[in-house]
Amino acid sequence: MELMVIIALLLITLGSALSFRVRWITLPISVIALIMVSQISGGKFLEYTGFVVVIAILNLLSLGIMKKSQIKGVDFGLVALIGSATIYIVFTKDLAMILTTFVVVSVPTYMLVFVNDDIPNVKIGIKYVTFMVLATILFVIGALILSYNHNNFNGTVYILGYTLLIVGLALEVGAAPLHIWAPDVFSNADPIPVSIIASIAKIVPVVVALKILIATTSPLTASASMIAVGIGLISMFTGNIGALTSRELGRVLAYSSTANMGYIISAFVVLINPAFLPLAVAGILLQLIVNAAGKIGMFSAIKEGGGATHLMYLLALSFIGLPPLMGFWSKLFIAVSLINVGYTWLALLLVLNSTISVPYYLRVARDLSGNWVLSLGTIIGVVAALIMLVTLLPPSWFVSGVEKMMEFMTFNLGGM
Amino acid sequence: MTFPAYIPVLFLAPIFLSLPIALAWVYRPGAAWARKLPILSVLGLFISLIISLYILFRVPSESVTIQWLPGFDINFVFTFDYLSKYMGALTAFIAFLIGVYGLEYMKDDYRLGWYWFFFNTFTASMLLVVYSDNLLMLLIGWEGLGLASWGLIGHWFRDDDDLSYVGDSKRRIGPLRLFWSPTTGGWRAISTIRFGDMPMFFAIAAIYALTGTLDISQIPWGDMFQKIGIAGTVILLFAFLLGPFTKSAQLPFSEWLMTAMTGPTTVSALLHSATMVAAGTYLFMKITWYIKPWELEGVPGLEIIYLLVLFLGLISALYGALVATGLLERKVLLAASTMSSLGLMFAAASTSFWLGKIGLLVAFWYLMVHAFAKATLFLVAGHLIHVTHSRFCEGDLELGKKMKIGFGATIIATTFLAGIPPLTAYWVKSGMDELMVELIHDVGALPLILLIAVSVVYAAFLAKFLSLNFIKGTRPHHIDLHGGQLMSSAYAIMVSLMFVLLYVIIREIDPSTSTFFEAGLEKTSFLVGIAVLITYSGGLIMPRIRALANVGFVLSDRLYLPFLNDYIIPGIGWVIASIVDHANRGIDSLFHRWVPEFFERISRDIRKLQTGSLPIYIQIVSGIIIAILIIGALMGWR
Repeated sequence: MELMVIIALLLITLGSALSFRVRWITLPISVIALIMVSQISGGKFLEYTGFVVVIAILNLLSLGIMKKSQIKGVDFGLVALIGSATIYIVFTKDLAMILTTFVVVSVPTYMLVFVNDDIPNVKIGIKYVTFMVLATILFVIGALILSYNHNNFNGTVYILGYTLLIVGLALEVGAAPLHIWAPDVFSNADPIPVSIIASIAKIVPVVVALKILIATTSPLTASASMIAVGIGLISMFTGNIGALTSRELGRVLAYSSTANMGYIISAFVVLINPAFLPLAVAGILLQLIVNAAGKIGMFSAIKEGGGATHLMYLLALSFIGLPPLMGFWSKLFIAVSLINVGYTWLALLLVLNSTISVPYYLRVARDLSGNWVLSLGTIIGVVAALIMLVTLLPPSWFVSGVEKMMEFMTFNLGGM
Repeated sequence: MTFPAYIPVLFLAPIFLSLPIALAWVYRPGAAWARKLPILSVLGLFISLIISLYILFRVPSESVTIQWLPGFDINFVFTFDYLSKYMGALTAFIAFLIGVYGLEYMKDDYRLGWYWFFFNTFTASMLLVVYSDNLLMLLIGWEGLGLASWGLIGHWFRDDDDLSYVGDSKRRIGPLRLFWSPTTGGWRAISTIRFGDMPMFFAIAAIYALTGTLDISQIPWGDMFQKIGIAGTVILLFAFLLGPFTKSAQLPFSEWLMTAMTGPTTVSALLHSATMVAAGTYLFMKITWYIKPWELEGVPGLEIIYLLVLFLGLISALYGALVATGLLERKVLLAASTMSSLGLMFAAASTSFWLGKIGLLVAFWYLMVHAFAKATLFLVAGHLIHVTHSRFCEGDLELGKKMKIGFGATIIATTFLAGIPPLTAYWVKSGMDELMVELIHDVGALPLILLIAVSVVYAAFLAKFLSLNFIKGTRPHHIDLHGGQLMSSAYAIMVSLMFVLLYVIIREIDPSTSTFFEAGLEKTSFLVGIAVLITYSGGLIMPRIRALANVGFVLSDRLYLPFLNDYIIPGIGWVIASIVDHANRGIDSLFHRWVPEFFERISRDIRKLQTGSLPIYIQIVSGIIIAILIIGALMGWR
């Protein structure tokens, strides 16, 4: 199976090289490569793989909205690379591969953020790259400290490693109080690259962090989790309140990402009780999928200067968490698992935050509302909306999928 | 279980047969053919009368259950016991006669559909109250009474006819104008009654929660009182009795009854004899019948309630009687006298706690005697208002000669009701005297003294009513004797029932009357009867005493009780309204101003960080990372 991945990577490389003549040639090759990589699942956890493939394809398609690209077709390859890593991460149990996927997802975004219809956006690119580099360093150091410390346990080192990892993650995904780059980048860079940074690129860092934290669980996890809870809470409130008075749509969606990452990071506290971990992981993954699909749909609409009214409101309502849209189930799973591990107050604050978010999501939907036009953006919006509607069938199927996947989530560091 | 088909007909016939006129008036108000439809309504009342008479004479004492919610033990349960058989026949009879009278009295009215629909609903509701054994069914009737009374008291909703007002338009005391329109009267009635109904609902709910049944005859009253203790018993029964107290206009809830006179006289007659106000006392008698307090002397708290009813009744009776002596409006005078009689009924019924069932029988027979007499007096008063176009007492012997039937009916009704030996009410009143004499042992002499005082004053104002309307009153400016045959025959039949009752009592046809018939032969009773005769004669000779005019004003201002209804309680209401208003504004400000402003400020502060300058961003992020790491390190230190 690893062979398929290698062939896929070669295909992506080849396609990117070919695109120097014809930009579009990379698109089908990228899609083929993605489907090949998805074979690694061997039929397991198709729920997750399926969503990731669809989201990656949406990201690929959205690049088509751009009139031109400074990196001409290589952008397709980069997205395919990110997508491949996002599929692969779930199925690997090797620390080196895990950290590699993290870097493989992070670095392509450095290039993508410069891409623009016009001239490369250097100023904003530099801002983004600066913080991403810092985030990657902190994250990788934290991951290594935790892994090393696991077999020679020292409590202080564990908590420091945990803190570094979470800080790195927060900086990487734009969680408050380390979100400062996000509003500027989201509002000033081109919406399409931003939609990639805001959607599929967020999944791997979170999954990597989860994998490492699960593998290195210790008796001190409960106290270390306070860091995650603290950052999660600050992030929820900063994101949602910050979005309330923001005018620019890019900024509003940046704060929305900050809030979503807050929900996700606060759910890390469920690690203290493995019994409820599958539910929490299911909630986290669904929340990432909601965030990805919604952001792609909305940023595409921003790029096209508006989207279909119905689609925009549907995406907004899913973000808010209206049943039976997917955004409801993701928050429900997180909240229920929080309540189960004794953090009812945190669950209540999460619900309160959902309430605070209502005005600005509806405002975004209203501002983006327009007529149904046959365009790439509308097609992407329809697919994103369909993803939100998948949970018309209550996603207990997703939870049972996660339960079966938990063996991959927990890898053994003892052999190191 | 099958049930006799006449039961639903009993309640539904009046309502359904009033629908033609009600609907006709919606689509063709005032049409000549529509004015003939009230006959149908009266036919409905007649059907009820026939069925109730059938129940009285032919149906054995039993209860009939029509399943409704058997799982909750809530069903249509009708009981035909001593009280309900008599009461049902009385209600249907009086309603029918008043209906006949109303055919003529209301024939030129502008709102016949409304009138007949509510009149018949009123009767059907009362019949439901009378025959229901289940408290929930009873409540449906009870509410029907409240609704229909509101509709009927405020019937003349245009407030455009001085004849329909109560009070004197010139009379003012401080901020109050003692002058009430029909719409005000309707409002005062419904608001007062709701005040009592609310606690009654809760009491009924509590009874259901405690015992699991609502059938009055099945509720284990004694066990329930034992279970909830002295405080529970007092609170429960007091809450329950607030319903009857307000409906039967006991102090301090009497004001609505006085201004209920803004309705058509037929309504006053029905309201004051067999329905509405009687419903309150009837319900008290009915539950006492089944509580059997005389068997529960050990139960704590019960005596407190029965003492309260005894004295509240007697004091209300005295108040009503005194007020009636000061009043000069025909119908309001009679209203005050009704209140007085209701007080006596409550008082007599309450003595059953000490003296047994006899108290209830005396009270119930007084209710019947009073009903026929009072209905007669109201019908005559209505006729007088038609003839003289005045709602104040006026009329001399001249008028008496012209309205012979009315004059005669008034003489019979007043003398038979006052308690002059050996006329009908004398025997029942003697029963009351006897009860109060026996009560000296348990409660003291005060009840007896109060009763005698009430009886004496009562006779005086009855005589005054007779005298001021037919003998010694001022000569009316206006006499219009046109028509009136239907009205006079209605009250002539009504008053003749006083003889029937007298015959039943003296011949002891109903065995339960024998006890108070014997009391009438006692010396004390006879002495009270003589005193009553003396004051009656006094009232007849001197219906107005100029020297006491000021006292009369105080009394006719009803001892300033209107202040409670029109000033103090609305004042409290306004205070509450202003508190609610302020709280409302506070909540509005909280959610429309303070919370949004608070969030906007924080939001702006959060966004202030975004200066766009990379060096500053790096400084901020580095600072935060170091701070978090220090926190992490400190946490790991322990």
